[in-house]
Amino acid sequence: MPFTISLHRLRQEMRGLLLTLCLVGIVTAGIFTFVWSVGLTRGTVVYLVPVLIAAMRWGLIAALFASACGVLASAFFFFPPLYSLEIRDPQEVINLLLYIVVAVVVSQLASRLKNELEKSHKREIDLRDLYAFSRRIAVAFDVSDIQSAIEDHLTAVIQRKVVLFATARDAAGNARRRADAAVPPQVLAEIEKLEKADDRRPSTGDPVVADDGEAWLVRAVSPKNPEFGFVAVNLGRPSHGHSDADDLRVRVDAVLADATATLDRLGIAQAINEARMRAETDQLREALIGSVSHELRTPLASIMGAATVLSTAPALAGEPKLQALVQDVRSEAERLNNDIENLIDATRISSDGVKPRMEWADPSDILDSALDRCRKKLSRHTLSLNLPKDLPLVHVDPVLVKQALVQVFDNAAKYSPPGSTIMVAARARDGRIVLNVSDQGAGLSESELPHIWDRFARGERTASLTSGSGLGLWIANAFIAANGGKMDAISDGPGRGTTIAIELPVAQATVHPMESDQDE
Amino acid sequence: MSEPSPIVLIVDDEIQIRRFLRTGFELNGFVVHEAGTGTEGIRAATLRPIDIVIVDLGLPDMDGSDVVERIRSWSTVPIIVLSVRSAEAQKVRLLEMGADDYVVKPFGIAELLARVRVALRRQSRAASGEPSVTVGPLTIDLASRTVTLNGQRLTLTPKEYRLLQVLAQHAGNVVTHQHLLKEVWGSIHMQDTHYLRIFVRKLRQKIEPAPDSPKILVTELGVGYRLAHTADAENGAAVTATVG
Repeated sequence: MPFTISLHRLRQEMRGLLLTLCLVGIVTAGIFTFVWSVGLTRGTVVYLVPVLIAAMRWGLIAALFASACGVLASAFFFFPPLYSLEIRDPQEVINLLLYIVVAVVVSQLASRLKNELEKSHKREIDLRDLYAFSRRIAVAFDVSDIQSAIEDHLTAVIQRKVVLFATARDAAGNARRRADAAVPPQVLAEIEKLEKADDRRPSTGDPVVADDGEAWLVRAVSPKNPEFGFVAVNLGRPSHGHSDADDLRVRVDAVLADATATLDRLGIAQAINEARMRAETDQLREALIGSVSHELRTPLASIMGAATVLSTAPALAGEPKLQALVQDVRSEAERLNNDIENLIDATRISSDGVKPRMEWADPSDILDSALDRCRKKLSRHTLSLNLPKDLPLVHVDPVLVKQALVQVFDNAAKYSPPGSTIMVAARARDGRIVLNVSDQGAGLSESELPHIWDRFARGERTASLTSGSGLGLWIANAFIAANGGKMDAISDGPGRGTTIAIELPVAQATVHPMESDQDE
Repeated sequence: MSEPSPIVLIVDDEIQIRRFLRTGFELNGFVVHEAGTGTEGIRAATLRPIDIVIVDLGLPDMDGSDVVERIRSWSTVPIIVLSVRSAEAQKVRLLEMGADDYVVKPFGIAELLARVRVALRRQSRAASGEPSVTVGPLTIDLASRTVTLNGQRLTLTPKEYRLLQVLAQHAGNVVTHQHLLKEVWGSIHMQDTHYLRIFVRKLRQKIEPAPDSPKILVTELGVGYRLAHTADAENGAAVTATVG
């Protein structure tokens, strides 16, 4: 038994003792009744009952206390002279001594049994948790699944808030991202220190105390495998005395050792490494596409510019064949430029996310400039516009919405025959604006429909007939989503045309009457 | 053009771009000076008289916007910026720093020449105090504060006229939302683009022959508005415009 006892523990102990005293009181009252009604005089042995109960319920100290109370009570109430602690009969003294021996032995036996029971119960819970944990780890799909499994397991077993970080850098990022798991800067500093330490073991192992007085225990999940990251366990305010924190520290270390053993057994370190490698490969690819496309843009600007100068050059004025060649250079450069812009948009979406610049915009303005941009592509189609005069304003990034529309028009032009009609309609409905672009082209089969928003998606029926990267609708969808809208595709089937619907939220714009016009 | 050849200064680090710009401008009767860096460009602008400056945004030694700011600190020479797509915020900043217009790379020489001519014309109009601007069927007389469409006088509210007036003062060049809001509604409403949208819609109903596909008051998405000019006719807009 440690000498330092926490307040909480002390309170529990006191409660046990008080209840023991009550029990002894009840037994005394019982024996008293017996003595009165039956005339029985030797009831001391009955005091073994409270001793047993106290040992089973409240432990050794309570049991010993019950024994002592029993001795005192029998000496006081039942052995002559009555109502005095003095005992005259030597035989009674021997009886009492015998009782004391039996009581002490029983106390010890019973309390040991109690401890064993408690321990095995706890072990059972731990084992069950560990089993659940290993099952969850085994089906984990990626690094973040594994990490959240570790985090949840530790939280369940330690019953304190546990935050897991992959690396110190991740720690800083996470602290910013997860408002609920506010981790104090001292903890982040400790994690950074741990990451730099050679053996990834804490120098002191003491909890870190944050500004708000809460103590945090920082540990590497496994000193051997850096892949598992670090945990910060919130120990709460250390006002309950120190032994609680010490107990928890021992427990955290034990749980971590168990968890690491499970992770090792399942080969999780390797799995995490592989998943991370996959993610890095993706990133590298994105970065490559991004930088290459930016590099390509510059020479393309020269090619296109030079071609336009050539086409106006007086020397070529009388050379229609050469003029046509120059025209080809220009239009091919334009096409290449389109593809490059798509690649740049795609990397923008997947690398740093789309950051819309929201402003109030007139939907017809956006439509008009998208159509203007596609004028050349749509020159062989009939365009039918159906726009109400009083379309509400939308609060969006107009440039992103326009680019999404350009992709949709581009698609409509590509997949519908020359001479067919492309219908553009807009209407306001339930606080949203819906823009419909319908063509009379290739349409979509039921199996194609769900995949048109995928990256690099290209219809098998049309892939050989039209050129394209399959990025267009994916980009459009991402841009519309960034504006809080959504896209839908409707088709009656192959060869029966497609309608792409773009929904954008309409927010209420307030115009104060005084600003509207009267004054000057 | 019977006047003396206008002098253009090209500030761009890409030699290929400078080369086609030089050829393009010279074919169209300009005198061309070149600079490969921002510092060189600023010095060139101080050394000799320049009629118009073309600045690339991405220069090796400094940002294009710094070049615009420095030149603007002593000169009102028209400046046109060469920018890349999806850099609207940057375009707006450049225009606010005093650039007259921008052209998005890659571009055709005709497009750039059109912007250059508009900017030059605006400069000469400002110098001569020319009081009226005509865009297709629309004439805005800045002196008598009257607007006529196909010879018929239009009734505009004071704010509508003010909006048209600011655009006409920059006829052919883009004017940012912020600039318009500040000029028409005052600086506290610089963020209230929805005022502008609603007024532009009303104004288009009055001045555009086909308000659904505006050809006179043109939207530059994410940046501002432009009162179309002669130069824009070649983009397919059926607008013929003359000044004065």
